[in-house]
Amino acid sequence: MNKLRTGSFHAGMILLSLLWLGPVLWVVVMSTRSFDDIAAHGVGSLPQSFTLDTYRQAWTDGGELRALINSMLVTVPSVALSLCLAAMAAFALSRFRIPGRRTMLLLMLAGNLLPPQILLIPVSKFSELTGLYDTLWALITVQVGFGLGFYTFVLHGFMRDLPGEIQEAATIDGAGTGQIFTRIMLPLTRPALAALGALSFTWIFNDLLWAITVLRTDDNMPVTPALLGLQGQFVSSWNVIAAGTVIAAVPTVAVFLRFQRHFVGGLALGAVK
Amino acid sequence: MSDFDPGRRRFLGHLGLAGLGALGASSFLSACASSASGPTTGKGSGAVTIQSNLSSPQAKEAMEKLIANFNAQGKGSASLNTIASETFRTQLPTYLTSANPPDLYTWYAGSVANDYASKNLLLDVSDVWKSMGDYPQSLRTLSTEASGKQIFMPMNNYWWGFFYRKSNFAKWGVQEPKTWTEFLALCETLKSKGVPPIGIGLGDTPWVASAWFDYLNIRINGAPFHRELLAGKQRFDDPKVKAVFTRWREALPYFDPKGKAYPFQEATTALLAGKTGMFLIGTFFADAAPKDALGDLDFFRFPIIDPAVPLAEEAPTDGFFASAKTANPAGTKALLTYLSGVEAQEAYVKASSGIVLPANPKAKASDSPLVVKGKAMLDEAKELTQFFNRDSSDALQPTADTALTKFLDKPDQIDAILREWQAGAEKVFKG
Repeated sequence: MNKLRTGSFHAGMILLSLLWLGPVLWVVVMSTRSFDDIAAHGVGSLPQSFTLDTYRQAWTDGGELRALINSMLVTVPSVALSLCLAAMAAFALSRFRIPGRRTMLLLMLAGNLLPPQILLIPVSKFSELTGLYDTLWALITVQVGFGLGFYTFVLHGFMRDLPGEIQEAATIDGAGTGQIFTRIMLPLTRPALAALGALSFTWIFNDLLWAITVLRTDDNMPVTPALLGLQGQFVSSWNVIAAGTVIAAVPTVAVFLRFQRHFVGGLALGAVK
Repeated sequence: MSDFDPGRRRFLGHLGLAGLGALGASSFLSACASSASGPTTGKGSGAVTIQSNLSSPQAKEAMEKLIANFNAQGKGSASLNTIASETFRTQLPTYLTSANPPDLYTWYAGSVANDYASKNLLLDVSDVWKSMGDYPQSLRTLSTEASGKQIFMPMNNYWWGFFYRKSNFAKWGVQEPKTWTEFLALCETLKSKGVPPIGIGLGDTPWVASAWFDYLNIRINGAPFHRELLAGKQRFDDPKVKAVFTRWREALPYFDPKGKAYPFQEATTALLAGKTGMFLIGTFFADAAPKDALGDLDFFRFPIIDPAVPLAEEAPTDGFFASAKTANPAGTKALLTYLSGVEAQEAYVKASSGIVLPANPKAKASDSPLVVKGKAMLDEAKELTQFFNRDSSDALQPTADTALTKFLDKPDQIDAILREWQAGAEKVFKG
């Protein structure tokens, strides 16, 4: 009976993961087909050709190298800056009796409930007014600004639950606020920071909306709009786009694998108080 | 599947950009056109920037070559900026209204360009047209806005027609029809052979149905009525419009029933595989065909319904317009003059590999039989129309998509559908 249950559980899970992996596999297979094969038999048919030239096309013709560099130039500073600012804000809000701290926190949460689409035009106009339009700085600013509320909220929840005695002990030992933050709080918050880092990396790296809102020069575009750029006006080479997608997925997968442990742990952070 | 969906309109939905598109097109445009006053980092007489939506690899390469040639001539310098066409479509109003806009844009001729011109966003390029005396009057009229200035420079156009595979028509023993009666007879023959006669692809690309509406309307009521209708000067619930749908119903039983489910790219695959007989589509569909099938393609013009109506064809014209706020009008005009020349137009047609006709009458088109036939068809036409959205606006297109999709599902309810369409169109024209 128990064996049957385990067996059916595994069978079910295998089916479920196939369902999950199916589209990914489909993209990988599509990336190795030739255009004529796809055009003659449709995107859904079984492959009748094999080529790796699609990856070369995506890399050189599609300008994916430049786009990946841009993506990194945006993502790495954005993640670092937003986590740094969010950690400081969370520290202040959770460990000190700042007047109106609840309101501030709720305001940050409320900002997250706002659909970003309604801010597209204000952001675009504002970046023009500040002269940042069409620079990577604009994108970094926007990403940091939009991520900050959520990261602060999560980190606040984490830091609040750290025992107050540690902070008191450090104070007695003569540590100032800055020292408490850098030498006590940050090391203790590491799991949460790692989880958020991986999460925000994925978000910022995969973002498309803000990139096309504040950028207009193709040399500045990060990888997601560059992928979109592989599409033609009416007809697109799906094999090349699939290859480009596979390439673009590599950095996020790498980051995820590296931080996987924290990632799963971090997700459960808010689950138990 | 949906994430890799080629449908251009569907994509809008995915990005959640539809809202921006709509906002950008109307309220935002009028509100911000004058108020944007950012820092003017004057480009002076620097390089002319071209914002291009020609993102397919061949077209992009063709444009890169043209710009390289222009720069090599030493009359000025230009830099090309290729943006994904879907992004370009939604961002164009933002580009044009920004404080420091790109100088030159690829876009469509006709009422879409005139709309921007009426908001004073486009540069007067009448100077460029002075050197374009060879261009036919039809293109000049098309590029002229209400106050009589030219604001557009046509680069090329293409045509729509019923495309089919020569080998399949030979196999089925059928000929190209000339008239509507012959067309219906052809459909009947194909149906009796078990082939769905008329292919169509409306899933995610519902705008393809507008070609049927456009063509039936210009065949039955003529191009002037069609233009007035699309400009809001006639009503969609007019009996003349209903007559269009009465004709359409005669052909409805011959449509491929699967066509509602897939986009036109897959309808192309079905046509090439002999699963449908013919397909009313623009020449751009050939980009979705494998190279070895291209030689087997042929087309015929949309059948004549009323010989008394002057012959009109759909010939969407692509080209360039420039921003009124350009910091370098002289350089922009120099580049436009170069692009309008024989050399540039021939180079573009050759490199782009698409089936397009150069706008310059002296420039040679490709000499493939298909292109020769298409050019002859357009030359024979008394009037040229663009396409539903280009003759009206991107805002009116969805009302057509809704009405036509409904009609294909429930042709009995045509009166109600036309009333709704009129109501929808009135909202667009008022907004």
